[in-house]
Amino acid sequence: MKKTCFLFVTTILSWSVIEGISFGQGTATYAPTHLSCCETKEAVPIRIAYLKEASPDKEDVEPADSPGETFPDPLEPLNRVFFEFNDKLYFYVLKPAARGYKTVVPEEIRFCVRNFFNNLAYPVRLVNNLFQGKVAGAVEETCGFFANTVVGLGGLADIAKAVDLKKHEEDLGQTLAVYGAGPAFYINWPFFGPSTLRDTIGTVGDAFLDPLNYLDGWYSAGARGFNTVNETSLRIGDYESLKKAALDPYVALRDAYYQNRLSKIRE
Amino acid sequence: MQRESLVRVVFIVMLVVSWAFPAWAGVPTEKVKETADKIIAIVSDPSLKDPSKEAQRREQIRKAVDELCDWEEMSRRSLGRYWAQRSEQEKKEFVHLFGQLLERTYSDRVEGYSGEKVNYLGERVDGDYAEVEVKIVTNKNTEIPVVYRMRAKDQKWLVYDMVIEGVSLVNNYRTQFSDILAKSSFEALLKRLKEKGDE
Repeated sequence: MKKTCFLFVTTILSWSVIEGISFGQGTATYAPTHLSCCETKEAVPIRIAYLKEASPDKEDVEPADSPGETFPDPLEPLNRVFFEFNDKLYFYVLKPAARGYKTVVPEEIRFCVRNFFNNLAYPVRLVNNLFQGKVAGAVEETCGFFANTVVGLGGLADIAKAVDLKKHEEDLGQTLAVYGAGPAFYINWPFFGPSTLRDTIGTVGDAFLDPLNYLDGWYSAGARGFNTVNETSLRIGDYESLKKAALDPYVALRDAYYQNRLSKIRE
Repeated sequence: MQRESLVRVVFIVMLVVSWAFPAWAGVPTEKVKETADKIIAIVSDPSLKDPSKEAQRREQIRKAVDELCDWEEMSRRSLGRYWAQRSEQEKKEFVHLFGQLLERTYSDRVEGYSGEKVNYLGERVDGDYAEVEVKIVTNKNTEIPVVYRMRAKDQKWLVYDMVIEGVSLVNNYRTQFSDILAKSSFEALLKRLKEKGDE
């Protein structure tokens, strides 16, 4: 018994010493940061078990969460046409506009604009968090909204982020999914981009909560256009990277949208 | 709306400035950090900054990445159920071409490094599988969550997949390849990979 104890203690001590040494080396590159970096996460055996199921050592190479599961795409020919359209729209209209805008407007201001529009989308997030029973999320969002609007000069500054309040991005499409609605099928809208039948219904529903919709027609469109150009100016290069890395950009985009939505719905 | 920071970040991830991470961070996280540090060093090395040294730089970066990534595993998983049917020769060629495609994509992003920071959030290990979670903070103050999926082969931890904002790289390619293979042949897929390489 004593021997076991002794061995146990020795093991723990030697482990601590070794870890201590590597920590010491780690601190050589320590630099102060206002971003917290040392959140710990509990081990989640369930997820790792999924990985093991997915091991290709088994005869059946297709892992459990096979992305052979993707959106049904019965409208593929039409979607591909719209994809080409959006592609041309991006390169011939949106990107030049965003570039021109970027040259004139400094980045800080463009961040402020982004913050402003993000803040305006608060009602959508609030309502959908509540519909999904995510009360904590709703509360955190509300705190963030007030912080941004009051302290952040009407939403121009992202105060919420500065005080580590997290965003809980929920929309009606996700809410419908949580209630069991399937995506139905993939739609690639001209102008609006990838969506599904469910998410499109969601977007329409969310529009009732969007302050921009209550502006007069031209102002509303103008505001949206402005937001789009602003956002694009902050993301120039993303779409190009996708195209460059993909053998089939249309499928790459559809799959990225699928996986991204899935992960958002799950969280 | 396009949120395809997917690929951009995949390879920016390789170019991270190391910030402090917990003392208890295990071997998988160490491995990721080690490669990241190496690549940063290469990209920041003034003696290699000259355009004439580009080939040398790329060679060194590739060596560093080769130590971290298991290309065969990635290729195998991205072919999914089509892998087993291929001959050894075809498999080899596929791994080679796919690796080239990935390398081309990340090389560009590596060259475009501009001070992105990485926060190591932690890792989960179960047997010989692990996931290393990080958050990339770009100079545009966007935070991008990335998960490295790793597997231990012969005591070495190697990355076989990267999940950026919920989108798995392997899964994304698998959908593309499945789509192509359903509509045409394996030779056609190889041809497209080759053409992509010549682009």
